Amino acid sequence: MIATLQAARVLERSTPMGGGVELICETPLAADVHPGQFFQVAVESPGALLRRPYSAAWTDPTRGLVGFVFNVVGAGSDWLAARNAGDRIDLLGPLGRGFAIDGGRPAVCVAGGLGIAVFIGLSNALTGRGRSTTILYGARSADQLLPAARFPKTRMQLATDDGSAGHHGRVTALLSNAIVGDADIFACGPTPMLVELVRWAQRADVRLARIQVAHETPMGCGVGTCLGCALPRAGGGYMLTCQDGPCISADLVEWTRVVDAFHG
Amino acid sequence: MGEIDLSVDLGRGLRLRSPVMVASGTFAYGFDAPAVDRTGLGAVVTKGTTLRPRHGNPPVRIAETPSGMLNAIGLQNPGVDHVVQAFAPVWARWDLPVIVNVAGDAVEDYVAIARRLDGVPGIAGLELNISCPNVEAGLQFGVDARLAGRLTQAVRQATSLPLMVKLTPNVTDLVAIARAIADAGADSLSAINTLVGMKIDVRHRRPVLENQVGGLSGPAIRPLAVRAVWEVASAVSIPVVGVGGIMTTEDALEFLLAGASAVQVGTANYVRPQAAREIRDGIATHLTEHGWSSLAALPLRAPAHV
Ligand SMILES: Cc1cc2nc3c(=O)[nH]c(=O)nc-3n(C[C@H](O)[C@H](O)[C@H](O)COP(=O)(O)OP(=O)(O)OC[C@H]3O[C@@H](n4cnc5c(N)ncnc54)[C@H](O)[C@@H]3O)c2cc1C
Ligand SMILES: Cc1cc2nc3c(=O)[nH]c(=O)nc-3n(C[C@H](O)[C@H](O)[C@H](O)COP(=O)(O)O)c2cc1C
Ligand code: FES
Repeated sequence: MIATLQAARVLERSTPMGGGVELICETPLAADVHPGQFFQVAVESPGALLRRPYSAAWTDPTRGLVGFVFNVVGAGSDWLAARNAGDRIDLLGPLGRGFAIDGGRPAVCVAGGLGIAVFIGLSNALTGRGRSTTILYGARSADQLLPAARFPKTRMQLATDDGSAGHHGRVTALLSNAIVGDADIFACGPTPMLVELVRWAQRADVRLARIQVAHETPMGCGVGTCLGCALPRAGGGYMLTCQDGPCISADLVEWTRVVDAFHG
Repeated sequence: MGEIDLSVDLGRGLRLRSPVMVASGTFAYGFDAPAVDRTGLGAVVTKGTTLRPRHGNPPVRIAETPSGMLNAIGLQNPGVDHVVQAFAPVWARWDLPVIVNVAGDAVEDYVAIARRLDGVPGIAGLELNISCPNVEAGLQFGVDARLAGRLTQAVRQATSLPLMVKLTPNVTDLVAIARAIADAGADSLSAINTLVGMKIDVRHRRPVLENQVGGLSGPAIRPLAVRAVWEVASAVSIPVVGVGGIMTTEDALEFLLAGASAVQVGTANYVRPQAAREIRDGIATHLTEHGWSSLAALPLRAPAHV
């Protein structure tokens, strides 16, 4: 799949949950996106220089739509959140490797915070293949949860830091009860959550090869030319998140060095 | 625009069709950038290449800063043998010069790499990255005129390839260093490499980069780079290639007016993968609009000396 540079038109902006913004963009690139892939979005703000990486949260290939769901954490996301219907944004993508979704085993998705974005499209793809899908979803509080209606045909278990919905505590606390039999695990969220998931898997004797994580790191280029997005490789050296990932089998990663690097 | 002659001569037979190259470390080895029409480029300058493969630094390796970015990649590269065996044969089929950026810890490393690359089809020239620490001397080659001259001379004797030497701005007397390198037999100079900078994460009270410090690039360094080119170009008689914060045609013209014969575009490639191509076209338009038929006709109004 060749990544393309293209202007997309913003069709709609909404706030689907507290602290979250959703932009729906019209682009023929929608047809080329695999769940878990991302775009490098150009930010035309004097406060930001580099493009910012954003997962395609979902796509509608027939209508040529891509949805992005994100929160405002700095100049880039602030600019993006201020786009209105009719505005154009410049996309480079789709980039990187998405999730491997073939197979018939049950799927368990583990989402932390804005990590939920990518599971809108992924859960659709999984249930569309007839795979039983459970989403474990953690957020700070109930008002910051993306509504469960966005995930039809899936079972959802919630956790919140303040106990305002679901389990009072971390989403990783839900793992032991939810992971049954030979489920495939898909995870997206802050690096500490991914590290916690891997530690749980090691304790619970769950093979890391059954876990795919979507890894987030600052990116310079998104296309393999800056070497800025290094992710420690099991056995030594580094992978590039933008090329070998962002969705990557957890057994390929050297997690002790990830903990060092990202202070997980 | 057909008649406009944008070609430049960087010495020893290194002739570029366009004065706009892509800078080292911002285009890898020329294979990865998507959506780029390579034929519009003057040359590709590769990622810094060392004698043996290098894994590079632990993350976090990059951070954005006001109008720029810091990087501490740590020279991750597959080593010169891989470059010769896997990449050069492909480059030999491209209608585009590829200049290999060379890095090392000791004079012997640079010499060994230069020997290995000499005469290999597909390799149009070398650019020496002298911003690397010299293990013996305990300081960067590029900060000392004698060290830089010695290194240039040793590499000059090891290769017949066109030799560009890339100046580091982290010095007190750039002109003296540039002169020493020119006298030692370099065919051209490129200026500048990144400036050493630092960013601290105040919330977590620690440096953002795992390497603590990194090289600053992007528009933030452009005025410094223009000044460096202006000083150096008036002090040496070999061509000078301007690098540092070029995002637009106008930025590139600044360097050409300061005395550069050609330019390299770095960080801008990340933002606009077609930047080098766009800037090349912009320069052609600028010349046409003024009725000039070639780059050589661009009247230099900048003062001749500091
Ligand atoms: C492949 C990929 C997909 C992503 N998808 C989404 C998504 O769907 N929704 C979403 O909300 N966010 C996503 N992110 C994170 C998003 O890219 C960053 O939040 C964004 O770049 C921040 O830009 P900014 O200018 O607003 O903030 P900045 O001022 O650049 O940074 C604000 C804070 O966020 C941290 N940060 C910056 N860039 C990243 C990054 N790439 N990853 C993690 N932390 C970062 C900084 O260290 C800083 O603490 C994704 C990241 C990657 C690598
Ligand atoms: C991520 C990154 C990696 C770089 N790697 C190298 C390198 O390997 N060798 C080198 O000589 N310069 C390297 N540079 C420096 C650039 O070639 C260029 O001199 C510098 O970035 C200034 O130009 P710019 O502002 O247009 O980027 C690198 C720059 C960046 C941003
Ligand atoms: S972001 Fe540049 S190599 Fe991955």
